[in-house]
Amino acid sequence: MQHRNRYVARDIALFSASYLIVYFAFLVFPVIYGIYLSFFDWNILSTKKFIGFKNFVEAFGDPKFLASFAHTCQFVLLSTPTIIIIGFLLALIAVRPTKSGKVAETVFFLPYILSTTVVGTLWAWLFQKNFGLFNQILAQFGLKPIGWLTDPRYAMASIVGATIWWTAGFNMILFSAAIKQIPDEIYDSARMDGAGRFATLTKITIPLLKDTTLLVVILQLIASFKVFGQAYVMTGGGPYATTEVLVQYVYKTGFSYFRLGYASAMSILLFMVILIISGFQFILGKESK
Amino acid sequence: MMKRTIGAAALVFLFALWLLPLFWLIITSLKAEQDVMTDHLALFSVAPSFVNYAKAFGGTDILKWFKNSVIVASFTTLFTLFLNSTMAYVLSRIKFRGRNSLLLFILAGMMVPFEVIIIQLYLEFNALGILNTLAAVILPRLALPIGVFILTQFFKGIPEALEEAAYMDGASRFLIFRAIILPLGKSALFVVAILSFVNAWNDFLWPLVSISDSAKYTITVGIANFQGTHGTEYALIMAGAVIASIPLIVMYFIFKKNIVKGIAMTGIKG
Amino acid sequence: MKSRNLVLMAVFILIAGMTLGAQTSQKPIEIGFWSLFTGGDGAFFDAMVKEFNASQNEIVMKTDTVKFDNYYTKLTAALAAKNAPDVVVMHQDRLSNFVPNGVLLPLDDYIKKAGIDMSTFEQGPVSNCRFDGKLYAIPMDVHPLIMYYNTDLFAKAGIPKAPVSLAELIADAQAIQEKTGAIGIAADNTTATYKAYTLTRMFMSMLKEQGYSTLNANNTKANFNNDAGAKAYQALSDMVNKYKVTPKQLDYDSSVADFKLGKAGIHFNGVWVTGSFEQQAGLNFAAVKFPALFGTNASWSGSHTFAVPVQKTFDEKKVMAVMTFINWMTNHGYLWAKAGHVPTRKTAIDTPEFKSLPHRAGYADAVKYTFASPDTPKWPQCYDAISDSLEESVALNRDAKTALSNMEQVINAILAR
Repeated sequence: MQHRNRYVARDIALFSASYLIVYFAFLVFPVIYGIYLSFFDWNILSTKKFIGFKNFVEAFGDPKFLASFAHTCQFVLLSTPTIIIIGFLLALIAVRPTKSGKVAETVFFLPYILSTTVVGTLWAWLFQKNFGLFNQILAQFGLKPIGWLTDPRYAMASIVGATIWWTAGFNMILFSAAIKQIPDEIYDSARMDGAGRFATLTKITIPLLKDTTLLVVILQLIASFKVFGQAYVMTGGGPYATTEVLVQYVYKTGFSYFRLGYASAMSILLFMVILIISGFQFILGKESK
Repeated sequence: MMKRTIGAAALVFLFALWLLPLFWLIITSLKAEQDVMTDHLALFSVAPSFVNYAKAFGGTDILKWFKNSVIVASFTTLFTLFLNSTMAYVLSRIKFRGRNSLLLFILAGMMVPFEVIIIQLYLEFNALGILNTLAAVILPRLALPIGVFILTQFFKGIPEALEEAAYMDGASRFLIFRAIILPLGKSALFVVAILSFVNAWNDFLWPLVSISDSAKYTITVGIANFQGTHGTEYALIMAGAVIASIPLIVMYFIFKKNIVKGIAMTGIKG
Repeated sequence: MKSRNLVLMAVFILIAGMTLGAQTSQKPIEIGFWSLFTGGDGAFFDAMVKEFNASQNEIVMKTDTVKFDNYYTKLTAALAAKNAPDVVVMHQDRLSNFVPNGVLLPLDDYIKKAGIDMSTFEQGPVSNCRFDGKLYAIPMDVHPLIMYYNTDLFAKAGIPKAPVSLAELIADAQAIQEKTGAIGIAADNTTATYKAYTLTRMFMSMLKEQGYSTLNANNTKANFNNDAGAKAYQALSDMVNKYKVTPKQLDYDSSVADFKLGKAGIHFNGVWVTGSFEQQAGLNFAAVKFPALFGTNASWSGSHTFAVPVQKTFDEKKVMAVMTFINWMTNHGYLWAKAGHVPTRKTAIDTPEFKSLPHRAGYADAVKYTFASPDTPKWPQCYDAISDSLEESVALNRDAKTALSNMEQVINAILAR
């Protein structure tokens, strides 16, 4: 114990050095550089021009910024509860001690390892209006084709659908791991008290999963706010920009319209939103203990 | 009894539904391009055609890209495991002021969409003179915040008594880390390894921007060029997607047990 | 023992150095090159580069291809760090984003030195690459918006020739729908895998046919909220909403596929799909320049150019090698024409190889009626904004006045910034 306490500071430094160097060099520094850039007008190719808070002011008055942010929020609202709930329901299947439980684990998590581009391209093809699989199936039943990605009523939901298929498995794994940890005794005594399946679920299982749920909610919120890749591949932001999310607008602003300062400012606003909302969730979650 | 069969049937249906997109992915990749955009439901191609795979393997550098991806993903995983586990050790086994804040600071890194730091990273790597190298592709992915989180949570669950006993015997902290903590954390390390490998393998935008030699492309970047400038060749693109995803799927099936065990034993106790 | 090894090593290095030195003077010069051509275009382009490499021993072109979507991201980052390759492909309408920042080399001196006769080029596309009198890029092709039509369906519907006016266009489209059941006009109006730029291209063309350019002379204000714009917009909207000769929610891939499978009579698109249509068994079609819907001919066009990035250290040998490459590529434009594009070099068009290509001769004269997009660095954003706006207005069946004033507001805000 003597030995340990004497070298605590040295050990902290030694053990954390390699990680922190990489973290600061390749994550923190670019972000700080980005914050610096947000106060400039810079087209990447020539000199920067300092303009103070003008980029931020412009953002709040930019209808495209507000619209794309609204689309991101729309995606967050549609996807977060659904991917979490579906993940939980899948977990209920996966925790069964039967063979189907094991199969469920494998099948439902499999899509998670595919890349954004693969998922986006695959689902763009499935949803394709004239020749995609889904409409071909509808045609077999004599139904008219649906513009899954070309009809503004369905486009965002279709993107959410693809995202559910892609990522619900991750939440499933987290939930099923937590459920498996609930000791059998609790279920046994509940059964002896005559509790039915539904009651057990709502009064015992779910409350005991509070911590995991909090983690899942925060991770899902963060992921949903950052949405870009699969949406861009599937709809390009269409129809008429109704699925253009904030990260897409930021990306276009920086690289197609050559306004990196403005793009950085918008990214900072997004980052702050994510930070505040995750922070809120975290505090709320901790309070309810 | 009836209920059980309906339930079982429903499950099988659900599994089939979930696997349908992957099934369609493979089917499409085995069709000739002109049979793809047809208006009749051809669930099974009349004769599976490997023409797209031939095109991918014969006409492109796909094997080189594959090799590059293996190198990048493997080294990323190796280094990530080292970096993340050492950091997690500090955050879980050494008590110091500001420990929780440091963890939160690291976790905040998860909130940054990668697209918004691309140019900064590019200029930084340009200044360091290591653009257009596989090292450039590896470095930004090493600090995996979720990995630190998983390992920290897991390591917290290891009883203090084990370390105490080792110290009593005169062991150094590093020895304890290597001989006690790491072996006990095998499952969690597995999870981090998988997440890290998958992330690195699927990385697209950064390898695209940082590598100029198409011979050094990773496979995700290379197959992106299957998308035509003025037209989508779905069969070819699907074939590329299959080729790029197979290694991950194979790895998944091999390490499946460990992944689930690992997440389970992470014991998300909050 | 050790010193002997050292001496041997030194001798070896010396000899190796001398032989290598001797060899480098005979080694071909390697030129780095970025192309944005993938898919069908890519196949033709890469074949041309291969042929260039095989045709001589002094220069070896090393091509790296980047998908169009990400091409400019990568190129911009590279230009910012002066890391760009020796020569790049660049769209003419993007030049104004790069030239004013001094990242591209003015080429006049090197063109002269290399003996490239610029008079053998179509002058319009070349002058669009001039900024302040200096030439910053050499155009390889123009790819205008044209009209394709299915000759079998036309025959079946009893239409004797291609429509040359708006009224004829609509009448023909209706005839096709009534008499053959096929779609009248396949022109995409919804963004999916590809952005629905066709609407914008048609709009700009129709505007120009009436003598108006999309933006005013100094690119400070929109120039389409007027009678001409109203007529152009109305034509587009009517096709979908009034006459219903174009389906709603038609995206690019579906539009191309519909025409390819013989399910559409008329198709508006750029020349780049010609190659793909030719390969479709059973499709009999013709391709002509965009019709003079409002009396005169004008067609939107893009242009692929070659540009030379400014490097950290200037190497004239490399620049001259690039000139040789560009000279060869443009002279052999008839090879590029296989992809459907129209070569800008008259000497390439005047060849038996080009003349023997079906269809291209039919729209080669479209080059005369092309016009450049406004040369303001804000054009990419305006182009996207016009596209979104037209797409929305047509989909929601807005009246011309509302549609145009909405669009004008957005564009003017971008330009005023």
